[in-house]
Amino acid sequence: MPGRRLARWVAAVPMAVLALATIYPLVFTANVAMKTRRDYILHRFSWAGSPRWDNLAEAWAGAGMARYFANSFIVVTCAVALLLLLGSMAGFALSQLRFRGSSMIFLGCLAGLFVPFQVIMVPLTRVMADSGLVDTYPGLILAYVAQFLPFTVFLMTSHYRTIPAEIVDAARIDGNTVYGVYRRIMLPLGVPALLSVGILDTLFCWNDVLISLLMMPSPEHRTLMIGVNSLRGQYSDDIPTFASGVLIAAVPVLMIYLFLQRQIADGVTAGATKG
Amino acid sequence: MKQRGRRRKADTATRPTSRGARAERLAPYVLVVPAVLIIVVLRLWPLVLGINFSFTGDGELNGTPVGLNNYLELADDPLFRTSLRNVGLLVLLLPVAVAIPGLLATFIYLRVPGHRVYRSVYFFPAVLSPVIVGAIFNLMLGFDGPLNALLRAIGAGPVDWLGDPGIAMFTVVGVHIWATFGMALVVFLAGFSTMDTSLLDAARVDGASLPQIIWHVIIPSLTRTIQFVFVTTMIGMLTSMFGLLFVMTGGGPEGSTYLPEYYIWHQQGQLNRPALASAASTVLFVVMLVVGILQITLLRRAGRRD
Repeated sequence: MPGRRLARWVAAVPMAVLALATIYPLVFTANVAMKTRRDYILHRFSWAGSPRWDNLAEAWAGAGMARYFANSFIVVTCAVALLLLLGSMAGFALSQLRFRGSSMIFLGCLAGLFVPFQVIMVPLTRVMADSGLVDTYPGLILAYVAQFLPFTVFLMTSHYRTIPAEIVDAARIDGNTVYGVYRRIMLPLGVPALLSVGILDTLFCWNDVLISLLMMPSPEHRTLMIGVNSLRGQYSDDIPTFASGVLIAAVPVLMIYLFLQRQIADGVTAGATKG
Repeated sequence: MKQRGRRRKADTATRPTSRGARAERLAPYVLVVPAVLIIVVLRLWPLVLGINFSFTGDGELNGTPVGLNNYLELADDPLFRTSLRNVGLLVLLLPVAVAIPGLLATFIYLRVPGHRVYRSVYFFPAVLSPVIVGAIFNLMLGFDGPLNALLRAIGAGPVDWLGDPGIAMFTVVGVHIWATFGMALVVFLAGFSTMDTSLLDAARVDGASLPQIIWHVIIPSLTRTIQFVFVTTMIGMLTSMFGLLFVMTGGGPEGSTYLPEYYIWHQQGQLNRPALASAASTVLFVVMLVVGILQITLLRRAGRRD
């Protein structure tokens, strides 16, 4: 037994090193963001003794991060709301209602899951351009909804499958229409799944690069991630301000992570155990 | 919205008004139509459109059929060939990208000291955008950045992580693994939680060593999870490295870090060759299908042997 205990401690050492390697890059970046340019060049690895918030202010206001932040916020909020609405509607119908073609439709949604964005980006951009949706908020919102809807429908369907049919039947006997069942029963019962799918969809949309790059070409429509990257050229000789921009873009995600870690993990594993 | 007489079970007893009954019959379709329309019009239809598009020309030949010309041009393009070679490299590195989270999940499951903390620490980069990860590592991997400082401290020379064509791709893949192994780790841990512990206890009582336990108990009972992680990690590598390439290397140095997705974006957006890009998309789709099917059959066979 002592041998086994020793083995566990031996494994713990590389794991601790790895944990450090996971945390350190972000700590380093946050530290750089608090330094003056001079300090960054001369004392790169020392702790920023007195944190400077000027860099953050410069990145937020001077570099236009506020604008990018607002763009991302609008687009992601609308896209996730739409995703959850459409995903739960379809998920309810596909799991609890019997109708002609339902299995075909479910397979169609699944097929959508296996079409990576890279494969359809050229024709999709063209379809969007032909409809006048490129460089508009609705265009990017629609592109995100299309991208993550198969996943959302799939997870909502598998969640709603776990709800016994008797509940729906009882609600119908009480005189609810199908829509009434959706609104009064399915939406409230779907909250845990809606929460974890919603968080994942939020992360996916917030973190996206490629779709936003294609759908929002003009600078004033940049989302936060594209905006951060554009800081790089703008502040190539002012790394602390650039690092501040990176920090600003990372903070919302870190907040979500700190408070909703369990829901994120639930969402990730739901795909694995139900697939 | 109380509408008595339109219940499923009571249909035979009271004949519902035909209008209401029809609305109820149509309700499921009303619920699925928006999702179906979006998926069909903006995902499945573009796939067909793109394949069709790949057999037409660019520029002056826009819209005219050119047969296999785009594909022949791809085969001749060294950049595209590099991007496919890099896909091959990713496939080779795939077992590493699966083994690392698998091993870590095993240790966490076996309650290494501090396992609760590790779980949340390891998972955290997985929620960061590739842009953020890329930007952070641009600072980390700079010539006078922390990693080279560490190397210098132990007496090794500084490495040009992103500037050396022979190293850059490995660097990017390494950063990608750093950023995503937490996802796979969580999936593995979910697999462990459904595992039958009696086998594990029996093996422990029999005095099996850790490698023996991993090989004879854990791997066979986690076949489905391992399959899932293999396939999703592969898909992740082939479809979500664009952000890192965009921020860290821009395909360089000397085109050494090109991947098909970057090639497609470059041809479409920067060089205005959408038809050629569509051909590359079609190739990528076929590659992913083949790799996916191969993996599933190989892993199935391996699973059956145990």
